[in-house]
Amino acid sequence: MDLADRADIAPPTPEEPPPVRRHPSEPMPRWPSGWQGPTYYGRAQLKAAPFENGVVGGYIFFAGLSGASALLSTIASTASPRASAALERRARWLTLLAPVLGAPLLIYDLHTPKRFYNMLRVAKGTSPMSIGTWILSAFSASAFLASGAGWWGDRRPNRRGWRRLSTLARWSSALAGAGLSTYTAALLSATSTPLWAAAPRSLAARFGASSMATGAASLALGQRGRTRRNLDAITAAALAAELTATLVSHHRYSRSGIAGAFQTPWGRLEEGGATALGLVAPLAMYGATLARGGRSPLPALATLAGSLLFRISIMGVGDVSARDPELSFRFAQPDNLPGAHSPSRASG
Amino acid sequence: MEMHPRVREQTRSEFDTLIPDESELTANVRIEPGRAYGFFTDTTVCIGCKACEVACKEWNNLPADNIGLTGESYDNTGALSANTWRHVSFIEKPVLRHDLQQPFQSGWLMMSDVCKHCHNAPCLEACPTGAIFKTEFDTVVVQQDICNGCGYCVPACPFGVVDVSKVDGKAHKCTLCYDRLKGGLEPACAKSCPTDSIQFGELHKLQARAQERVAELHALGVANAYLYGTPGAAGATGDLQYLNAFFLLTDRPETYNLPAAPTRPANRVAPALTSGLATVAGLAVAALALFARRW
Ligand code: SF4
Repeated sequence: MDLADRADIAPPTPEEPPPVRRHPSEPMPRWPSGWQGPTYYGRAQLKAAPFENGVVGGYIFFAGLSGASALLSTIASTASPRASAALERRARWLTLLAPVLGAPLLIYDLHTPKRFYNMLRVAKGTSPMSIGTWILSAFSASAFLASGAGWWGDRRPNRRGWRRLSTLARWSSALAGAGLSTYTAALLSATSTPLWAAAPRSLAARFGASSMATGAASLALGQRGRTRRNLDAITAAALAAELTATLVSHHRYSRSGIAGAFQTPWGRLEEGGATALGLVAPLAMYGATLARGGRSPLPALATLAGSLLFRISIMGVGDVSARDPELSFRFAQPDNLPGAHSPSRASG
Repeated sequence: MEMHPRVREQTRSEFDTLIPDESELTANVRIEPGRAYGFFTDTTVCIGCKACEVACKEWNNLPADNIGLTGESYDNTGALSANTWRHVSFIEKPVLRHDLQQPFQSGWLMMSDVCKHCHNAPCLEACPTGAIFKTEFDTVVVQQDICNGCGYCVPACPFGVVDVSKVDGKAHKCTLCYDRLKGGLEPACAKSCPTDSIQFGELHKLQARAQERVAELHALGVANAYLYGTPGAAGATGDLQYLNAFFLLTDRPETYNLPAAPTRPANRVAPALTSGLATVAGLAVAALALFARRW
């Protein structure tokens, strides 16, 4: 039975049909946001995640930065080993940020922190938090091994075994790092919080690209010459990919009728802070200096700050969408079901 | 519901021992592991007495949440929470049926809300410690000795049910009286409901009984009666399959603070993971090309 066709629970027909954009030069249409029908005394229909946004957002940032820098530095030293020795040493420290700073943040956010080890009782494919626990464990083990063996190997030039062990562990941390820099998007998407659930694919693309941008930007800080230019180009490419995914996800929010969540302080922080100052601005700076090779650390620092702000603010906008029954009810209409036959079906 | 023959054996009014399989006497249900049990909440006979809320608090030893008045009809409880596992909502409508009803007559809708004990329970699927599990009675329960209070079940629930307690830092919600079921007792709320608005029983029997009730109401002229949470109905959308605690409603789900078409969050894990990894892989290939070029 198609719920959208049932008179008793079908949403009231909106007064105006959804707007259509006829030409790319026209401004993006504003879709009606929010539920037009009854609510229960305006009370929330959902419960917002009891996460501390700064703490969990901070973890997501460090996880992305560490994971991506493991991946990028491993790629760099495989492709051009001699040019990347300094990069490899810097990556040793950056990859330790996730286990050393990120993991304690996660444990701090538990409401019963002394039972953190219960996360290791099970492995569940339906729970990105469980998947992430194992990714973080694998990443931490290989990052410590890679950094330790690399550091030791540097001091014993003849002990080739240490270097080989370090390379092996780095590849393992690079693979786990790819997962670490993006599983957090699946963690948010696999909830009933409307804003996180509305665009799983583009949210994950944003998270992945943002992680790669921070990985490359933090490796580039203090780097000179060709390696610096390569890293700048990777940061710029990642920022461009992130911007594209950001536009796609915002279009999706608008089509699901929940774009109103951005007309709040958290939403303005996401749009004005994270996207405008932390994404578009560094992208423009990279664009201006890419050909000559920039010296300024400013675009890299803006990228890092923008990514941190993005992770924190997206948590806040999600909470807004869970607490506002008009957004929750609008999102839980049959036309937003997977496979429903409404114009808002374009996947994103 | 016909009376069970065993009722006649119980002539005493005071008990010093448990009646074996007491639920057979009170709900005409024998509780056996391996079968699916649930609640059918028929809102058309709810009188808003809140006996279920009180019985739940008493049996489960739960503290009060809000001592005071909300100004929202007779609902001073507000919402389900870590300490409130049954919640009676009150909706005052001016006129329900223009043909039969005087405007001053009851325009109240009342519904006793509870954890839906979803078939594909999103809270359970999200739980990273395995603290939330499916019991032998096909109900969804949080094991308090395992929960570490990560809070991930809270945003996972499409119905805003489960909650982390600020007192003990663990997630709490209705257990469908797991302890009582183990002892052969009907859940406290259903046992205390004076109008049988809350019915406890074996799920497939409850579903059949609910269909009959809808047909009966339709025949009586209540055309807007429908089920929420049975297979294929509103509330059981998006791959949730069905809810072990389901409802008979007479107005839009949103009126009762229920979502019309919730979805199963676990279905978004694979799309998000593949898209994220594809983005990272694409950028990694670009990085490899950059670092490997010889110019
Ligand atoms: S209603 Fe919420 S708390 Fe209850 S089983 Fe379903 S997801 Fe879990």
